[in-house]
Amino acid sequence: MSLIADRPHSRWAVFRSFELVAGLVLVGGIGLAVILSPWLFPDNGMGVNLLARLRAPFSDWSHILGTDPLGRDVLGRVVAGGRISLLVGVASVAGGAAIGVFMGLVSGFYRGVWDMIVMRFADVQLALPFILLAITFIAILGGGLFNIIMLMIVSQWVQYARLVRGQVLALREREFVLSARSFGVSNFNLIWHHLLPNLLGPVIVLITLNVATNILLESSLTFLGLGVDPSTPSWGGMLADGRTYLQTAWWVSVFPGLAILLTVLGLNLLGDWLRDRLDPTGRTRQ
Amino acid sequence: MTRWNRALRGALLTSALALVTAAQAQPAGTLTISSPQDPGSWDPIDTFLVNWSAVANNIFDGLVARTPDLKIIPGLATEWTISDDGLTYTFKLREGVTFHNGEPFNADAVKYTFDRLLGEEGAKGPQQSNYNAIDSVNVVDEKTVELKLSRPDPVLLTKLAGYGAMIVPPAYIAEKGDEYFNTHPVGTGPFTMTSYTARDAVELKAYDKFWGDKAKLENVTFRFITEPSTALAELQSGRVDMVIPPSVPIGSIPTIEADSKLEIVSTPGATVYSLRFNTRDGITADPRVRKALIMAVDRATINDAILAGQAKPIVSFQSEQTFGNDPSLEAIPFDTAGAQKLLDEAGVKPGTTLQIDVRGNDSTFNEVAQAVASYLSTVGITATIKPYETNVLLNDIIPAGRTGAMWQQAWGAWTFDYDNTAYLMYHKGERWNPYGDDPKLDALLESQRGMTNAQEREKVLQEIARYVADQALEMPLYNLNQIYAINKRVKNFIAPPDSRLRLTDVTVE
Repeated sequence: MSLIADRPHSRWAVFRSFELVAGLVLVGGIGLAVILSPWLFPDNGMGVNLLARLRAPFSDWSHILGTDPLGRDVLGRVVAGGRISLLVGVASVAGGAAIGVFMGLVSGFYRGVWDMIVMRFADVQLALPFILLAITFIAILGGGLFNIIMLMIVSQWVQYARLVRGQVLALREREFVLSARSFGVSNFNLIWHHLLPNLLGPVIVLITLNVATNILLESSLTFLGLGVDPSTPSWGGMLADGRTYLQTAWWVSVFPGLAILLTVLGLNLLGDWLRDRLDPTGRTRQ
Repeated sequence: MTRWNRALRGALLTSALALVTAAQAQPAGTLTISSPQDPGSWDPIDTFLVNWSAVANNIFDGLVARTPDLKIIPGLATEWTISDDGLTYTFKLREGVTFHNGEPFNADAVKYTFDRLLGEEGAKGPQQSNYNAIDSVNVVDEKTVELKLSRPDPVLLTKLAGYGAMIVPPAYIAEKGDEYFNTHPVGTGPFTMTSYTARDAVELKAYDKFWGDKAKLENVTFRFITEPSTALAELQSGRVDMVIPPSVPIGSIPTIEADSKLEIVSTPGATVYSLRFNTRDGITADPRVRKALIMAVDRATINDAILAGQAKPIVSFQSEQTFGNDPSLEAIPFDTAGAQKLLDEAGVKPGTTLQIDVRGNDSTFNEVAQAVASYLSTVGITATIKPYETNVLLNDIIPAGRTGAMWQQAWGAWTFDYDNTAYLMYHKGERWNPYGDDPKLDALLESQRGMTNAQEREKVLQEIARYVADQALEMPLYNLNQIYAINKRVKNFIAPPDSRLRLTDVTVE
């Protein structure tokens, strides 16, 4: 009996996981709002109305979350700001993961000089404090969305490269790889069909968690004035704008702060769930 | 018993008296002030910063001084005469004045100060051009000095009250060198500088041999806090007693007013704000485009909404009290359709981008800049705002001509004379004029400098303002009050209209 009871009853049983459900609801909800934002808020949260400054939230249905010091709709800005945050999060992780996985595969599979160069380079890069790298990068190339994404790719591909290299080193000596190799499977096919699918699990976990980290990084950089241009709505920028008003108009900074919190929380919950599922070392913990 | 009593009473009385006199004579207490900017050098000839004066006005004296209500009073000179042609100024110097290092103040120190300002050393700094009407300084005797001018300078007396004309100690500088003097300034003022940590703090101590009424405070600390919200948090927590301009964001005024320990002291001042144009490159090289950009922005509404009664709109780059202001000069009207038409004429395509450079820590102006950007978007211009660290913007970006199409210019013409603004902003080769080269404007600017007839001179200054408005060299925005946020334990503080604090009479509870 107990054996049967432990087995999943149906395919929906996975949704018994609190982490998955909460993560999906949060990330899905925010993602949906961001995707629909061009229709929901056609002015992108940029519509200045100096006659409607600092309206309190829930006092006026056209500005449910109130307005900021320039009379812009806070809800509209939070949603439009989410576009920047999610774009930075997703694009930087996609770029970083692509480069990192490639580098890791090549250096783990072929070893040799290439491996040494990549890994020593990675060591150096990991020793650089992020803020130092960020300030130097932005001082030379300037701020802005594209540069922020580039900065994150440059600073994060290393993590993927090291993770993947480690996995490849372990996998390349496994029987199924050795046997495939003895059948004369080409290197490319070996990597593409045998190695890559087997190491994607941890990479996906890392990706999910990194999207969350990068959203926080983007917000911090913009808060510090190193990120996207102040007139583009972004969560970090809104937090910075609202600082002056924290005691008189809390909603200007609290709502973007809440948006960051919920997004990062949702992504981390999803990441945790994925780790339990996909990461073999995680599974042993269950 | 009675005798004992009497003796006791006598002793008590004496000690009480001693206490009272002590309270009167001994400076007491520490005042901590948050200043947004470290000027880097304390040498009077090296600076143009209002926040230099906020500190240095307590360390140095000029031959004359200016009160908060803008009256010229004796400083290191007790009396003076000006010749009828306006070319000779004769000053009788104060007796018994010493510099903080013990060096005596005399006519040689005055001569040294001006020779240095007008010579090679002064040429490296931004102050020289304010004083180059002075041709030579002659020592008549130990306590008499004569300033010979090459042309009359109607503002000279005011200019002698501050900045480059602050009297410096010759032997000290000769011995220690200019470099050392930059960080260890010595003057004759009511406070001596006891320590200076770059970008952190300056400590002042009452100077016990000061020539005038001695300071009532024992110590004054200026802390350099660039971030306004940090400065205000320090004020609220009581670690700072006063936050000086331009650190108090308009948006935080209600917060301060709601705090029973704090108050806002606000006074009309000379500080004016504008967005200036790169008149050399890009779309703003075309006067029609510049005019269109000005027309597209509803400056009156920005003023009312964002600046909450703490500022007045301006039409030229000067305040109402400034000599040279023309009340009849009319502002370029807010007219979106007209602006659009001008832009079309000039061939500016919708979606054209331009960059506005601002000081990153000026949160009020950041709001203004965002509002301007949003108005510009109504005529199809996409403006991006680029925040810089203040010193970077002032020292590296503007003078080198590396700005965007528009940049934030804040200016406090402390002399309350338009010349002090206009010449430095519009004359070719000046630090604040990286792009302009207009011989007609240069000629106008030069012509008024030699005029002794105030009325004639005012006319020329007004003509300059009209010409600048006509050429649309800048988008004039507003004249902001000097806003001080202070702890109520600070007493006798009179807010100066020019940020040049003189803290002699201030006390703390």
